[in-house]
Amino acid sequence: MAEFLLNKHSRIKKGKEFPAPSGAKNVRTFRIYRWDPETGENPRMDVFRLDMDDCGPMVLDALNKIKNEIDPTLTFRRSCREGICGSCAMNIDSYNTLACLKPIADIKGDVVITPLPHCEVVKDLIPDLTHIYAQYAAIEPWLKADTQPPPNGERLQSIEERARLDGLWECILCFCCTTACPSWWWRNDRYLGPAVLQQAARWVFDSRDEYTDQRLNELNDPYRLFRCHTIMNCTGTCPKNLNPGKAIADLKIAMYDRSE
Amino acid sequence: MQSFRSPLGRARGLGPSREAATGHWFSERLPALGLIPLMLWFIFCAVIPNIGASHAEFADFLTNPLNATLMILVVLLGFYHGLQGLLVIVGDYIGTVVVRNFIVFFLKLYAIFGAALASIAVLKLSIGG
Repeated sequence: MAEFLLNKHSRIKKGKEFPAPSGAKNVRTFRIYRWDPETGENPRMDVFRLDMDDCGPMVLDALNKIKNEIDPTLTFRRSCREGICGSCAMNIDSYNTLACLKPIADIKGDVVITPLPHCEVVKDLIPDLTHIYAQYAAIEPWLKADTQPPPNGERLQSIEERARLDGLWECILCFCCTTACPSWWWRNDRYLGPAVLQQAARWVFDSRDEYTDQRLNELNDPYRLFRCHTIMNCTGTCPKNLNPGKAIADLKIAMYDRSE
Repeated sequence: MQSFRSPLGRARGLGPSREAATGHWFSERLPALGLIPLMLWFIFCAVIPNIGASHAEFADFLTNPLNATLMILVVLLGFYHGLQGLLVIVGDYIGTVVVRNFIVFFLKLYAIFGAALASIAVLKLSIGG
C-alpha cells in the first residue's frame, strides 16, 4: 500500500529561532526544514528573521546570507544562481521551484522552504536524486543511429525537424516536475515521471535518431508511461515554463499511432 | 531489506510489460465518449419522463427495442468504463503485486456479474413481460 503518514522519526519538530538584527526595519521570516542524519534527531523547522534591506532579492540570496552570516551548517545545493544548472530546486511556499529564480517579494507571509517532496533527504534541503538519475539513464538519453554521419560534416535536420525539439531540449533536469507528480510519488518504482518522459520524448521526436521504435517499445507499459493521469502539476511547477504534460501526451499519441 | 542492486538495475526493474498498455489507455477513452450521449439519453429520455411511472408503464417503455438496446448499452459501457477507472486507481495505490492481482480479479468478477445481472433485468422487462 502507499504510505500516507510519515513515520515518527520523520515528523517535523519545532526548531531554533534566529532573531532579526537590531534596528532592522524590513524583516522577513524564513522557516526552513533542517535534518542532520548524524544527530539521530527528528527534522525541525528553524526560523530565521532577515533584514531585507541588507539581502538580495531572490530566495537563494536569503539562503546564502543565512549560510554565510547566521548558520554555516545550513546545507543546500546551488551553483549557477541564474536558473540554468538546476541545483537549487526545492519546495518554496508550497511550490517546487528554483531558489535562484524565485523572488522573495512574490511570497506572501513567511517563506517556508522544504526539500523536494517524496525523496529521501540527504541533509537539510538536499534530496537524494539517485533513483531519478537512474530512471534518466534507463531511457538512454543520447543519439542512437546505425547510419554513419556524412564524412564531411554533421547529421542534417530541416528547420522544422529542429523546431520539433523546442520546448524539450531546454529542460535543466532540476526535477521540480517529477517530484511534484502524485503518480510518481506512489509508483516511482516503475513510472518514469515527467522530467524523464519529457527527455524520452526529446529523443523519440529527434529526426536524427534511428531507435524510435525501440524507445517506444521500452515505454509501452501501463506504468512507465501510462501512469500519467494528466494531473499537470509538472507543467504548473516547471521553473523554466516548459510543458512536460504536453510531451507525455505526444508520446501517448505516438504510441497510439503505431498501435493499429 | 538491504539491497546491493544498482540504481540503474532498480530503475529498469522487470522491464516494460508491452501487453496492451496503449490499448488499455485508449479503451478508457472510447467508451467514455460513447457514454456522453448515452447518459444524456438515460437522464432525459429514460429517467425524467418516467418519474412516478408504475412498473407496468416502465416495462412498456422498455418493450420498444430501441429503448431496450440503449438501456443495455448504458449498462455494458457503464460497467466497462467503471471497471477501467477502478483498475487505474488500484494500479495507483496498491503496490503489492499479489494483493493488486487479487483485487483486480474480484473487480472484474464484480463488473461481469453486475453487467450480466442488469442486462438480464432489462431483457426480462423488455421481452419477458
